[in-house]
Amino acid sequence: MIKLKVEHLGKTFSRGDDTRVVLGDISFEVEDRQFVSILGPSGCGKTTLLSILAGFQDATSGNILLGNRKVSRPGPDRGFVFQNYALFPWMTVKENVMFPMKQQNVPREERERTAARLLNMAQLDGKENFFPKELSGGMKQRTAFIRALAGRPEILLMDEPMGAVDFQMRQKLQEELESLWLKEQITVIMVTHDVDEAVYLSDRVIVLSSKQGRILDDVFIDLPRPRDREAEAYEKHKTRLNSLLRKAFKEI
Amino acid sequence: MEKVTNQIPKNISLSELTGEQRGLLNKILSPVISLSAFVGFWYLMSLHYNSQLLLPTPRSTFTAFVLFFKTPDVWKNLLLTLERVLKGFSCAMIIGVPVGLLMGVSKTATRMLDPLLGCFRQVPIMAWVPLSIIWFGLGNGPTIFMIALAGLFSVVLNTIVGVRNISKDYFHAARSMGAGSFSIFRHIVLPGALPDILGGARLALGGGWMAVICAEFIATSAGFGFAMVEAQTRMETEKLLALMILGAFVGYLMDKCICAAGNVLTQWK
Repeated sequence: MIKLKVEHLGKTFSRGDDTRVVLGDISFEVEDRQFVSILGPSGCGKTTLLSILAGFQDATSGNILLGNRKVSRPGPDRGFVFQNYALFPWMTVKENVMFPMKQQNVPREERERTAARLLNMAQLDGKENFFPKELSGGMKQRTAFIRALAGRPEILLMDEPMGAVDFQMRQKLQEELESLWLKEQITVIMVTHDVDEAVYLSDRVIVLSSKQGRILDDVFIDLPRPRDREAEAYEKHKTRLNSLLRKAFKEI
Repeated sequence: MEKVTNQIPKNISLSELTGEQRGLLNKILSPVISLSAFVGFWYLMSLHYNSQLLLPTPRSTFTAFVLFFKTPDVWKNLLLTLERVLKGFSCAMIIGVPVGLLMGVSKTATRMLDPLLGCFRQVPIMAWVPLSIIWFGLGNGPTIFMIALAGLFSVVLNTIVGVRNISKDYFHAARSMGAGSFSIFRHIVLPGALPDILGGARLALGGGWMAVICAEFIATSAGFGFAMVEAQTRMETEKLLALMILGAFVGYLMDKCICAAGNVLTQWK
């Protein structure tokens, strides 16, 4: 089943006579429950693409279809995980997780039940009444992930969710994210510039080129989960994507 | 015979203290040194001028200060002034916060109100004294008006900054979770701007405390500022100095109170 359809999406920024094409003509389809990464060098427009999908920015041309509905404004049908997590610092972990449900008028009992289930799944029991500043990086990420899930979105959009952490932490967070995702099985589109992250997490990697933001390649990663970073096939995928990324970079 | 061990510790020299102890000593000693130096200088100058009218000694000022605890008049005046400050401060908050929030979220409101605010802000606060006496007569009216006016601008400006400094991501996040305008205002704008609003409140209270004393010099026949003028006309300079010191204490305490309230309200920070 096709969950998301992106049709001829384009984005140009213009200031006076100066126009810059950020996204050329992007079209792709995402299957239900697929984990898709959008990989590209910095400045290739991948974050712009994600923020158009979320409705934070308008596209210059093209359509986005979620299920069969056209979407353009932000909405709870698309959950968003921000690079810096954007947890509301004035709300506790639990209040953060409850927020999307409150906005959708979910009955109180159900709210409590869902929050308890998600917090338990993310191993945040006992941290319900902590403020974000009191959490470690990993806990913040897990909170952001389950907060996005709490609104029952049809698709999850993640903007470099591991962008702000060091290498050791990154691998650990990727593993945590994978196990959370395996439990929820939701459609995900994740933006990243890290090849290892893309291979570790995705069913499919869409590589964007930095020249006029077009799709350079669409790679399927068919490896059993949880993934073994030392496996030969894993390495092969990494090598292939690395060379694609180099190519993408050269196209400037 | 048993040997008696010497239990008295040998003299500790400064070099034997740990870094932490030295830091603590430094923390306590530094203000003590500077304060005693100041009082010493004051004492020397008062000896030099040798006039209770021009510069009373620290001792006589201290005596006058202690005497306050036996004079209910001083406290009556102080309470009256504090009441004015609180009333004026409340006015500044009640008007300033909504205006600041409005200007923070709406560009049109900013375009309309910014020039007005810019002009009025440039009028020195004391320049309002004559007009406020014409409008409100003598007594509570002009003083409360002056305090409110003195605080209003810092409340408005800080509130605007508070709203504008809220990360765009929070608005995006709230919207993508289905929040409407009212909910965003209630759950994002208000709590997000709160630390800066409290900063503005702190400035307003401090400014109000300054403004009220000045206003009371002129526009009233009771209150803390009036008591100071009274001390001056009676040539009781030591009482005047003691009142100034009391004024500093009260201002300091008010500032501490509002900081403590702020810390409670923004525990998440």
